[in-house]
Amino acid sequence: MEGMAGRKSTLTWVVNLAALFLVVLWTIPTAGLFVSSFRDRDQIAATGWWKSLTSSQQTAFVRTGNADDQRQDGALYVLDGNVLTEGQELVAWGTSARDPGAYQPGESADVDGATLTVAEDGAYRMESATPFEMRRGERIFVTTSSPPKFTLGNYTRVLTAEGIGRAFMNTLTVTIPATVIPILIAAFAAYALAWMEFPGRALLTAAVVGLLVVPLQVALIPLLRLHNDLNIGKGYLGIWLAHTGFGLPLAIYLLRNYMAGLPREVIESARVDGATEFQIFRKIILPLSFPALASFAIFQFLWVWNDLLVATVFLGNRPEQLVMTGVLRELMGSKGGEWEILATSAFISIAVPLLVFFAMQKYLVRGLLAGSVKGG
Amino acid sequence: MKFPVGEDTTFNWDSLEAFKAAHGDLAGQEVTVLGPWLGGDKDLFESVIPYFEEATGVDVKYSGSDSFEQQIVIDAEAGSPPDVAIFPQPGLAAGLAAKGQLKPLPDEVGTWITENYAAGDSWAKLVTYKGPDGADHVYAFPYKADVKSLVWYVPENLEDAGYEVPETLEDLKALTEQIAADGEKPWCVGLGSGGATGWPATDWVEDMMLRNNPPEDYDAWTTNELKFNDPKVVKAIDDFGWFAKNEDFVAGGVGSVAATDFRDSPKGLFASPPACYLHHAASFITTFFPEGTIVGEDADFFYMPAPADGALGQPVVGGGTLFSVLTDNPAGPAFIEFLQTPIAHEIWMAQQGFLTPHKGVNPEAYQDETVKRMGDVLLNATTFRFDGSDLMPGAIGAGAFWTGMVDFVGGKSAQEAGDAIQATWDALN
Repeated sequence: MEGMAGRKSTLTWVVNLAALFLVVLWTIPTAGLFVSSFRDRDQIAATGWWKSLTSSQQTAFVRTGNADDQRQDGALYVLDGNVLTEGQELVAWGTSARDPGAYQPGESADVDGATLTVAEDGAYRMESATPFEMRRGERIFVTTSSPPKFTLGNYTRVLTAEGIGRAFMNTLTVTIPATVIPILIAAFAAYALAWMEFPGRALLTAAVVGLLVVPLQVALIPLLRLHNDLNIGKGYLGIWLAHTGFGLPLAIYLLRNYMAGLPREVIESARVDGATEFQIFRKIILPLSFPALASFAIFQFLWVWNDLLVATVFLGNRPEQLVMTGVLRELMGSKGGEWEILATSAFISIAVPLLVFFAMQKYLVRGLLAGSVKGG
Repeated sequence: MKFPVGEDTTFNWDSLEAFKAAHGDLAGQEVTVLGPWLGGDKDLFESVIPYFEEATGVDVKYSGSDSFEQQIVIDAEAGSPPDVAIFPQPGLAAGLAAKGQLKPLPDEVGTWITENYAAGDSWAKLVTYKGPDGADHVYAFPYKADVKSLVWYVPENLEDAGYEVPETLEDLKALTEQIAADGEKPWCVGLGSGGATGWPATDWVEDMMLRNNPPEDYDAWTTNELKFNDPKVVKAIDDFGWFAKNEDFVAGGVGSVAATDFRDSPKGLFASPPACYLHHAASFITTFFPEGTIVGEDADFFYMPAPADGALGQPVVGGGTLFSVLTDNPAGPAFIEFLQTPIAHEIWMAQQGFLTPHKGVNPEAYQDETVKRMGDVLLNATTFRFDGSDLMPGAIGAGAFWTGMVDFVGGKSAQEAGDAIQATWDALN
């Protein structure tokens, strides 16, 4: 038995390490997205987020002034300026794209008969005995090293985007009723399916479970047509109904399984004491089912909050109809590809669901087990 | 309004006045427009709308969607279509026309396009579809075009290395070989685009089709009268492969072609030392150049040249957006008529991201020389053909063709790729 105990403790270590490994693995993408949300577009294009904490070397070019910018200094014609922006350090420079690091800071080079010098501090001076005639400035390639840099610019851009406030209100207007309505309906239905005796109950339950596998996309056109025929059209009522419909199968299934697991004795003794079905539902079932209700509320809230498809179909795409996801998508532009906006948007739109989750998480763990164990 | 009416004389303000005189009776109406433009494109389109609103008194409500292709089908099928829809793909418009969801435009619109657009016949054909009655009608009006047959480069990099801008396809191949012989990589090619990976290769193949074969073959190809595994098509795929499937010709090697995102691939032009010297892409690629790049100075383009013998002229592959009317709202057709006025083109031309084949507009309205030269490519086109993959059925043009090209750069032969795409097409019929 002693040997067993020793083995058990090693095993616990292995399990713990494996769990830690999985947690880290699962968190890496989110961490990367989080770091990326503080970097600007060029940084994201140049290096990966894991390199963001070390100083980076970049090669880029700066143009000198053109012929219009020259001034006369004694017998010489001069163009001058600085190639560095704040925080950068000059490592090397050059005048041709093929050899961008040809010269050290302080050295001089010949460019088409002119002499170009770039000093350590980035100041450049190009002088020539004859006037400059070029239409566009000469390129100076500079290799610079810059310290790690983070910016709040992405967050400012997303948070001050046009219509984001209205979209936030729109999303709340959609989400709260679309979470509450299905819970109300599903709780009644689940009680009936779990505890009331009527013919066809098992079939009805099976039908609800069957509806779980119907992809909502197939219902979009018929449902919108129905709304148009009923003169509901596109609007909040329509989207509440749609979300309610799409959410109900899971809600009923989850709640029924949970309620069916409640102790029969409690309900029967209430019946014996003369309670009506409604009293049993309200006084006994509802309070006992709170974990399941809370966990479904979180599911539904998250799903409706993050939804874009149902919102664009049943609400519309006009500025005054857009939900948060719609505005964030608009920020990405017609062709997409703006990672910094995508990353930032993700963290901004996740804020409210996170609040909801933490407010209700103590119910979630219990609720996730809803119906899985008889009596659980 | 972006440009006060009557102030800038490069604009054809007369055309606005004439339009206003003809459509004064629509005041108080509302017209809803659904299109694919979001963000900057949306702002630009919405800068054109006020001129229509001012002339007619109609209230235009534009909404954009990045899933326009699905949205328009859902809305039309469910019975709540927008008054006007902006199609980025003719195939989709043709499908809705056949189902009777689009209202035919007057026949004069077709004649107008033929007469007033460069390569007008090509454009008119592009918007003529079979209606539910099986007869051909004009169902859409093309407004705003993209040119796809362009090659981008950094002028100073070419100058520094002593290379010349090629005038013929043969020169382009010679230049490619010369750069490779000098120990550098001539091309940046990136086919990555998320779920649409592979589409940039279709633009290459289309360009090659029009440079090897007469436009009639191209048309036959888009309808599958010319099979995808026909020697002519296989040759075009192989011609693309000549550039993209040679380790010495592509930055990062052939293995990186399908993996590189098309939005990232032009960045190789601007690296120092340059990762590549040439990049084949449509006019809209400038959006993805590094911040601060001045087109015309830091980067420039040349027309993807035609073969030296000149037998096929100067073919141009392009894209464009098509405006269709879906309801009986009289303001819808009026909006289409507005788009025929030069002023509707010039307002957007004077900003950015807009090209037009309209011969009646003042080219001086283009904001700079580079865009004007791009417009010239369109105006000088002897043949204009719409992006072939957009004309094919969705399962091919937005499916098998893309994946076929990814397989092709991944190692399959052009014949195998063509066979596979043709097999999918056969399965459709």
